[in-house]
Amino acid sequence: MSHLLSIIIAAPFVAALLLLPCRSTDRLLMRWISLLGSLVSLTGSLIVAWRYDIKAGGLQMAELYPLVPSLGIDIRLAVDGWGVSLLLLTGIIITTGVLASWTLKDREKEFFALLLILVAGVFGVFVCQDLFVFFLFYEIAVLPMYLLIAIWGSSNKVADAGPFRFIWKLFDIGGREYAAMKLTLMLLVGSAFILVAVIALYQAAGAHTFDMGVLGAFKYDASLQKWIFPLVWLGFGTLAGVFPFHTWSPDGHASAPTAVSMLHAGVLMKLGAFGVIRIGMMMLPEGAHAWVWAVGLIAAINVLYGALSAMAQKDLKYIIAYSSVSHMGVVMLGAATLTQGGWNGAVYQMFAHGIMTGLFFALVGLVYERAHTREVGKMGGFAQAMPIVAAFFTLGCLSSLGLPGTAGFVAEFLVFAGAWSGPHLWWALPAVAGAFITAIYVLRVTRDVFWGPGPSEQFHDLLDARKTELGALWILGTCIVLFGLWPRLLLDYIDPATTQNLAMATQTAQLTPTPATAVAAQAPPPVAPPAATAAVAHAAAGGGR
Amino acid sequence: MNPLISAALVALGLPAALALLLAVVPKLRRTGKPAALLSILGSLLALSAAGWLAATWLHDPKQVLDLTTSWLPQSGKSMSQVGVHLDGISVSMLLVVAIVASCVQLFSLGYLSDEPAPALGRYYAYQSLFLFSMNLLVLAPDLMQLFLGWELVGATSYLLIGFWFTRPAAGKAALKAFVVTKFADSGLILALITLVAWTGSFSWNATLPAGGAEWLALFLFIAVMGKSAQFPLHIWLPDAMQGPTPVSALLHAATMVAAGVYLIVRADPIFAAAPHVRLFMTDLGAITALFAALIAMVQTDIKKVLAYSTCSQLGYMISGLGAGSLMGGYFHLTTHAFFKALLFLAAGAVIHAVHSNELSDMGGLWRKLKFTTVAFVIGSLSLAGLPGLSGFYSKDLILEAVHESGNPLALGLLMATAGLTAFYMTRTVVKAFFGKPSHAAEHAHGPGPSMTIPLLILLVPAIGLGWLAGPMSKLYGRSYAFHLDTIGMVTIALGLGGIALGWLIYGMGLLQALPRAFAPIARIANGSTVDDLWALSYSKLGMGLARAIAWFDRYIIDGLMNFLGWLFMWSGQRVRTLQTGNVQDYLYAVFGAAALIALWGGWR
Amino acid sequence: MTAILLISSALFCAGVYGLLSQRHAVGVLIAIELMINAANLLLVGFGWRTGGAFGQSFALFTMAIAVAEVVVGLALILLMYRSRGDVQVDQATELAQ
Repeated sequence: MSHLLSIIIAAPFVAALLLLPCRSTDRLLMRWISLLGSLVSLTGSLIVAWRYDIKAGGLQMAELYPLVPSLGIDIRLAVDGWGVSLLLLTGIIITTGVLASWTLKDREKEFFALLLILVAGVFGVFVCQDLFVFFLFYEIAVLPMYLLIAIWGSSNKVADAGPFRFIWKLFDIGGREYAAMKLTLMLLVGSAFILVAVIALYQAAGAHTFDMGVLGAFKYDASLQKWIFPLVWLGFGTLAGVFPFHTWSPDGHASAPTAVSMLHAGVLMKLGAFGVIRIGMMMLPEGAHAWVWAVGLIAAINVLYGALSAMAQKDLKYIIAYSSVSHMGVVMLGAATLTQGGWNGAVYQMFAHGIMTGLFFALVGLVYERAHTREVGKMGGFAQAMPIVAAFFTLGCLSSLGLPGTAGFVAEFLVFAGAWSGPHLWWALPAVAGAFITAIYVLRVTRDVFWGPGPSEQFHDLLDARKTELGALWILGTCIVLFGLWPRLLLDYIDPATTQNLAMATQTAQLTPTPATAVAAQAPPPVAPPAATAAVAHAAAGGGR
Repeated sequence: MNPLISAALVALGLPAALALLLAVVPKLRRTGKPAALLSILGSLLALSAAGWLAATWLHDPKQVLDLTTSWLPQSGKSMSQVGVHLDGISVSMLLVVAIVASCVQLFSLGYLSDEPAPALGRYYAYQSLFLFSMNLLVLAPDLMQLFLGWELVGATSYLLIGFWFTRPAAGKAALKAFVVTKFADSGLILALITLVAWTGSFSWNATLPAGGAEWLALFLFIAVMGKSAQFPLHIWLPDAMQGPTPVSALLHAATMVAAGVYLIVRADPIFAAAPHVRLFMTDLGAITALFAALIAMVQTDIKKVLAYSTCSQLGYMISGLGAGSLMGGYFHLTTHAFFKALLFLAAGAVIHAVHSNELSDMGGLWRKLKFTTVAFVIGSLSLAGLPGLSGFYSKDLILEAVHESGNPLALGLLMATAGLTAFYMTRTVVKAFFGKPSHAAEHAHGPGPSMTIPLLILLVPAIGLGWLAGPMSKLYGRSYAFHLDTIGMVTIALGLGGIALGWLIYGMGLLQALPRAFAPIARIANGSTVDDLWALSYSKLGMGLARAIAWFDRYIIDGLMNFLGWLFMWSGQRVRTLQTGNVQDYLYAVFGAAALIALWGGWR
Repeated sequence: MTAILLISSALFCAGVYGLLSQRHAVGVLIAIELMINAANLLLVGFGWRTGGAFGQSFALFTMAIAVAEVVVGLALILLMYRSRGDVQVDQATELAQ
């Protein structure tokens, strides 16, 4: 039994522990420990990608550590093609996140420790095959966010207006504590839904195990599925920014410090979408089919709503934050299509958007640090003072609007194609329109911030990216171009996994692919209860003892 | 590997490698000149590869070579292929692109000699990227790769229009160009996803369901309207003239805007099965041609004249293709690429000499810029369709095709345009090169060799390509023999009439009432009615909706969440008053409860 | 036995009444003592009834605890007097503010 996956999860955690005895004056040491911890995970993810046998497919590199045998809870780790991609994403984002917060000046020890614990949870979710531990890791990933935003965040006053203006007296709306509290509360309410669903699944299966392979193979009663699926969808969907539960996202992302925004928008929101697909659609296929119209409809709303909201924002961070809402809509839309193309696109979009939004938040943080303002209207002509930042920002924009040659295009296109060949044709239209609106607002921001005559007097200390920041920018920028020009680097992993997972999601479905548009939806004949998972379980049982 | 394919890969890969090199090695980029020379060398190598390919294909036009590899896997199969597809059409386009690109890159060296070194390096990085993207588009084996190139040339166009990014006007123009074309490109995305949903591939040869071709052709044509600046999506092209003039020559006259025409040529099997869309194309092309020519008559900026003239000529091509003449549309693309590039570069030489785009700052330049004058005049005559020059043959082909398709309306519009074209080009030539020199023109200085050589090279095809129509037609799989009929003669007469009228008015100062009659046209053009409509729909409709939604999000959706928070806090406050703090109150509760439980137990 | 139960109940009820009605902290303490004694009485009574020394010894044990409790209680009252100047239990509602 290889211990690769546990090493990936444990490395950031160990690094966080190692940080604790550091003296707060050893600033460089703390940074290096954090960087090493994340680099170990990144390298581990690369090795996983290298060693993963694409031809064999399925879940590989299984590990099993009993946790609470009496309840059937085990730490059960294994990775499929999706997991490989998402591990890579997480590794890249945490490494670049640490690099981007290299110049942080306040309570670094606690900051990096919390960041690393959080990321350990994220790694855990992507490779965990035990429902209970999955939930556990999910909570680990969500909770440190409160402290990270409330302590290291920044505030942004929001003027009172609207029918609820009387509330403004009560809360510090737009403040960082407000943002952190809103984010945490909303996500925890979501978690409560998920917990109910998890327990319901465990009880209904009656197998006394939380093994997701076993639970996934169990055929739940259709009526049970129909009421559990919305719980899972809304629970995880809150984290994925599903309308109207997205409102933690703009405030949260705008208030959070750079690395936290990167990690949160880049990876954590994907956790939500991943949960909806992994738990909701794959384990509750009939529930998914009953509700998929709503999932798709709301995702379509998300795309347009996020894009239009972003268009009207004046604060740089809010623009990017709303663009995340819009792009996560694309992920959910792809998921709702229940087609090969849609799911490929959804997972690819998780990766592409993660990288892209990571790049955006790194750059925005950098600009904010130098310009001391996030007001787009006040900026202008920054390209002359910071040409490298301008170049990377443009690259991020181009990926955001789905320009071919950048990772964003592949993802969006696959989702469009998936939606167009699925049963709900029209979903593709708002998605395409959203891509167009994105073009308007991101390019307008680029122009307003970076182009035009030289920066005004008030911005006297605009510096171009420092070495560590440059490292982060190059890593992210290279990924955008690399995975845009040659999508097979990832799709070769994602595609077979999608085929298998989709088989789970359609195994009990009466839904027939519409004849004329069946091409992309050519799911292979329903595989009898996922053979791969069962095989892994055996292998793990054999090797684990 | 087949050496021909290797040559194509060189033409494709070399500019890509250079663009990458210049992008990731800032030290090299910031040297300026060496970076420029490297990029020019790359374009010349691509040119020689393209030349060899073209020579081979002229010899054996039927040959088709493919080298593709899977790009997008789906369900274990390959959904999209990338690679190179060599046939007569792609090879001839490759050659056109390579020639114009090389000339433009060489010309830019002189034109941008005053730029600081880092900016020059950046410019050439963009130029190499453009050459790669354009070749990617040209060599596409299926619609997917064509789309990749299509969007990438759009992006390089955005970057190059915004090359002087410190100028607010350039930023505005770049943004507008990108957004307008991106809007239209939604059509291409729709076409792609429809194609893949129906046929499972992106091939333009795939069998479509009955009636499907019309839809596909319509979607594709929406994209073409944006890229090839057809009414009413032409609004970005005149603004795009904010870019450096060589860029206008390469992207916004010769190659990139012609990509739309190339798309129609490539997707001919689809368009051939879509008669309704083709009829629409014929009419819209003709309308655009006339509309743009009318506006061109009153422009005072030499580049704007040429920009509207490009619009107008693209209208010709679209109209010709709509009428079913692949040969006409595509051949006009080829000839237009050369003579319009020649015109733009000559205009660039003029602008470089007088440091102004305005026609009023020119005048009498022929004394100072003899060679440039010759180049511009020959280009203009070719554009005006003077017999013997290349433009005449291609335009004639289109007009005959439109005539044969039985569309007298479009034919009439296009014929009128032919006369107008001759007229406004004569006006431009006279205003710029003859007549009384302005102050700036007195101090004009002639272009250096790096600017005259490209002009010289482009003069050759601008004059003589028409005579090669026969061999060229074989490349497209068509046959061609020149014959002069009524339409041709009327066109010649109209062209000569236009030239004569222009000379009478602007050269000899007669008939001044006529320019005054153009005043209403000037109002439409300069007030740019179409432009305003778009701007209005953006600022009022788009931004209005966006603001409304942002407000709704901030104060209603978010307000509801805040209200929920407030509700819990409020009810907490209310419940809190139950806690009096008096121990005995609590004890009452305890004993009361105990008594109740006891009673309940006893009652059971 | 019935008598013992009755007396014990009466004592206990008196204690509860005192506990709830007395405002003076010492009164409350005395009421609590009454309730403890009611319990003691029961212990002794049942011990006598069932035989053996278990009930009696437990009553002794309870008395010891009651002593300790009175000590703590009086100390609390003393502290309350020092900090507040009175020992009225219904006035001491600071924790709810």
